[in-house]
Amino acid sequence: MKVSKGDIFERVFVNEEVNLQIDQESGSHVKIHVINASFSITVNQLGEGCHTEIYALEHLRGEENVTAETHVTHAVGGGSSNQLIKFVLDDNSRGRFIGDLKIAQDAQQTEAHQTNRNLLLSEEAEMRTQPQLEIYADDVKATHGASTGQLDESALFYMQQRGIGKEKARQLLVNAFMKDVIETIGDQYADVREQLLNTIDGVVE
Amino acid sequence: MKELLRIENLHASIGGKEILKGVNLVINEGEVHAIMGPNGAGKSTLSAVLTGNPAYEVTEGKVWLRGEDLLAMEPEVRARAGVFLSFQYPVEIPGVSMTNFMRTAINEKRAYEGKEPLSAKEFLALMREKKKLLELPDKLNNRSVNEGFSGGEKKKNEIFQMAMLNPCLAILDETDSGLDIDALRIVAEGVNRLKTPQNASIVITHYQRLLDYIVPDFVHVLADGQIVKTGDKNLALELEEKGYEGL
Repeated sequence: MKVSKGDIFERVFVNEEVNLQIDQESGSHVKIHVINASFSITVNQLGEGCHTEIYALEHLRGEENVTAETHVTHAVGGGSSNQLIKFVLDDNSRGRFIGDLKIAQDAQQTEAHQTNRNLLLSEEAEMRTQPQLEIYADDVKATHGASTGQLDESALFYMQQRGIGKEKARQLLVNAFMKDVIETIGDQYADVREQLLNTIDGVVE
Repeated sequence: MKELLRIENLHASIGGKEILKGVNLVINEGEVHAIMGPNGAGKSTLSAVLTGNPAYEVTEGKVWLRGEDLLAMEPEVRARAGVFLSFQYPVEIPGVSMTNFMRTAINEKRAYEGKEPLSAKEFLALMREKKKLLELPDKLNNRSVNEGFSGGEKKKNEIFQMAMLNPCLAILDETDSGLDIDALRIVAEGVNRLKTPQNASIVITHYQRLLDYIVPDFVHVLADGQIVKTGDKNLALELEEKGYEGL
């Protein structure tokens, strides 16, 4: 599909597999959220000054197996992209993130960020992360980071020391981990955002 | 006087290394006990073991809280039963707001006591009241627990949580470390105002300075995993003068 000059394409997919190939014309804006589903999203910034945002939150349980795949290409300069992909893996679940980010030689003054954070809640869960950056332009600002860890034991103990049961403490920490992805959902999808925030956050603030 | 805490022959180790080597201590309601001692004596280990920190292993001995086996309780149950630790290094919890954290803690304790949870209104009123005690700013509510707090704010926040939870036994682990004199005064006044004839505190400190503000009934010297000397507040002054080697 094509997002025309200056247009905005914004979508939130919940529990729905996503397969998208998008060409962006100059000044267009793509903002996609995927919640709890496999996806493959390819975005080509073909015009100047495009903006691309891809956010994903994958909370996996049981035998679930989810692959998140992004291929973002900055063919032309002056654009920006931001990706935040988070996995929470429980039980025997499997997660995989493949993230290709390419900044072509002509794509000067591009700003591109790719972040993948994963939380393992069980010994059996497994996460594979394959970020791949190809940067051919020299005047760019690009960052990427990938990390996979477990719940912070010292935070768990701190909460237990205040009387919060271990399970509830774990839940609060997991919710805190997931929250920032959901909070990036725009007002156009405010109802979905609030519903998701409510399901992860039982306590009204 | 009613007995609150009894520690008998407590031995504890971390990573196979024995730190506590037979601690004995009885604390009655209404008492303030200071525990002093050189670095590495086991002061922080004692607070960790009493609160059930899983990093430490109790290898021998018994601890009773109001006659109940404290060491058999999960850390959260000890907290609900009224054991509170003001951490030497309070933990930052990004993404969990102070309000959500504190409300969960209060209501877990109330459920343990068989009480109804506090309504949002009652809870916020309680937060406001207790924050004044520590001169903490209102904006604290929406911030993540301890995240981006200054050293002084973190320590005030510990005593604020103590005020909210109203424990029967408060353990203040090096609460004075990293505090300037104004923050120290506010923290100490907060602690003193929370004192009742029914509760008690253990004040762990390296320096005598804090004890000018929180006056102890007993001062114990912990050295190499044992209490080697017990006295009144004058013992702290003596230590300040002569050092631990002078004992």
